[in-house]
Amino acid sequence: MQIPAVIDPPLLEVVNLSWSVANTAILHDINFAIKPGQFIGLLGPNGAGKSSLLRCLYRYTKPVCGEVIFAGKNIWQLSAHEYAKQVAVVLQETPSQFNLSLFDVVSLGLTPHKSLFSSTTKNDQQIIFQAIEQVGLSHHLQQSFDSLSGGEKQRALIARSIVQSPQLLIMDEPTSHLDIKYQIQLMELAKSLNVTVLASFHDLNLAASMCDELLVIKQGELVATGSPEYVITEEMLSEVFGVCAEVSAHPQSKKLNKVIPRITYFYGYQGGGVDAKK
Amino acid sequence: MQKNNYFAVSVALFFALSSIFIALSFGAAASKFIDVYHSIIGQGDDSFIARIIWQLRMPRTLLAFLAGSGLAIAGLILQTVTRNPLADPYLFGISSGASFGVVCFMTLTGVSAGITMSAAAFVGSLLTMLLLVFIAGRAGRGQVESMLLAGVALSFLFSAFTSLLLYFSDPQAITAILFWTLGSFARAQWSTLWLPALVIISCTGLMMGFRRQLNAMLLGDESAATLGIPVQRFRLLMLVLSSLITAVLVAMCGGIGFVGLMIPHIVRFFVSQGTITGLIMTALVGGIFMVWVDVLSRVLLANQELPIGVITSAIGSIFFLSLLYFRKRES
Repeated sequence: MQIPAVIDPPLLEVVNLSWSVANTAILHDINFAIKPGQFIGLLGPNGAGKSSLLRCLYRYTKPVCGEVIFAGKNIWQLSAHEYAKQVAVVLQETPSQFNLSLFDVVSLGLTPHKSLFSSTTKNDQQIIFQAIEQVGLSHHLQQSFDSLSGGEKQRALIARSIVQSPQLLIMDEPTSHLDIKYQIQLMELAKSLNVTVLASFHDLNLAASMCDELLVIKQGELVATGSPEYVITEEMLSEVFGVCAEVSAHPQSKKLNKVIPRITYFYGYQGGGVDAKK
Repeated sequence: MQKNNYFAVSVALFFALSSIFIALSFGAAASKFIDVYHSIIGQGDDSFIARIIWQLRMPRTLLAFLAGSGLAIAGLILQTVTRNPLADPYLFGISSGASFGVVCFMTLTGVSAGITMSAAAFVGSLLTMLLLVFIAGRAGRGQVESMLLAGVALSFLFSAFTSLLLYFSDPQAITAILFWTLGSFARAQWSTLWLPALVIISCTGLMMGFRRQLNAMLLGDESAATLGIPVQRFRLLMLVLSSLITAVLVAMCGGIGFVGLMIPHIVRFFVSQGTITGLIMTALVGGIFMVWVDVLSRVLLANQELPIGVITSAIGSIFFLSLLYFRKRES
């Protein structure tokens, strides 16, 4: 595939990507590109393949066919180690039963940048402290990671990816267990980092207000891409998510000088409750 | 934080050295600290008691220290890479493999003493390790589960073979096999001490080099992979290193249970395992513990030695249970 010489080559490009498990297609022929500096939201109902797609992008699963190209190179031609220097990932939930401190977890961001036996220098420590301060957790420095709240844990993982100093940050539903306050806080934090971000969202309104562009997948296929204004429509909500809703302009649209769609859901039409027993 | 760590390590190091020194003065033949001092200075040349201390007690105490540190480190590493607080070097069938090796050797050759027995035990352990690596290497995503389950299954398999062979062999073999199931440092000699020392120091050194990767493993396979770690290969490497440590120790001093499980947990109560201090402290505390267990095994009964494994399990369990109890009440 010829890529025309443009001024702004994509940072990440997905070409004809398909992935299946035991002959069941999970992702089918997905194509898109992400330009540097963009904040991209990935939307789709449960089981649509959001996490599977992101796994292919952060080099955890290898696609059955198609390619993922990062800065002009197929990611499977890079080593895991090289790729981790450039792409950081924040996952939904982090299991940990052992007493790593917040500092220990954040300093893991150094892992891809450090060789065996190399020590953590004063300069590295400075970077770690700065990252922790940036996410507002300085007062928890020596606390164990387990004792942090859900929102604090996710912020700590963002601090870890700041230390990792990536070009691309991938987040798989990082806010799914959080209160709305922390959902907003976390996404605004990610936006303030000035790196390219690709995040999957559960909350469509939050995605609409945060993202420069949205990708919508349904049953493993990419069904819509573009600006939130273009993607979030009543038809799309009905077709992809199976809900009846009205889309209007968010009251802050004028102030922020861009159109932010706002979704208002309608209720009582799905035949739930007593009638559904029939 | 850094200063505290240095302080803790220096205190532990001081305790380790003084424990070894004090331990040397205990034994069947009466001796004083000044004898120990003279013996170390003169390398056992001056007197009878000095020879006992230098030729018998010194290698024995050093082996005890090495065994304690080695097993504790192996346990810590296995708990880390499997993220399972119950993981322990013996859970993976290494000591059953050793017993099997020894019993096979005795049944085939009739020999029941000497260095060749240790070699047989080592071969048995390595066989278990290779089988485990072979199975876990094929497992893919479910690697942790298959590693743990295969370890337990192998352990039972080799125990069954061992019992079967013992059933048909003479009672003398049963006495000899008891050594491998209960553990003892009585076979320690200067001439063979270099082997466990070399294996434990080099494996522990490598593990310290990998400390970032080890920490990353605690956050889950997927997180670790996104930090650029080839998770499955790394886990196998750590399994091989800890098995080597365990195999060498089982061959030298038999199966000493519970240390590998318990010491990492005790240290974890006080020091974060995420730091290099955590690793060093685990090794030191394991060593100190084992030196004192060896002292107990020599002095508890007059003119008789208690098996090491009995003491580690008894003391270890009681200490561990009380620690769990009091920690719970504090919080």
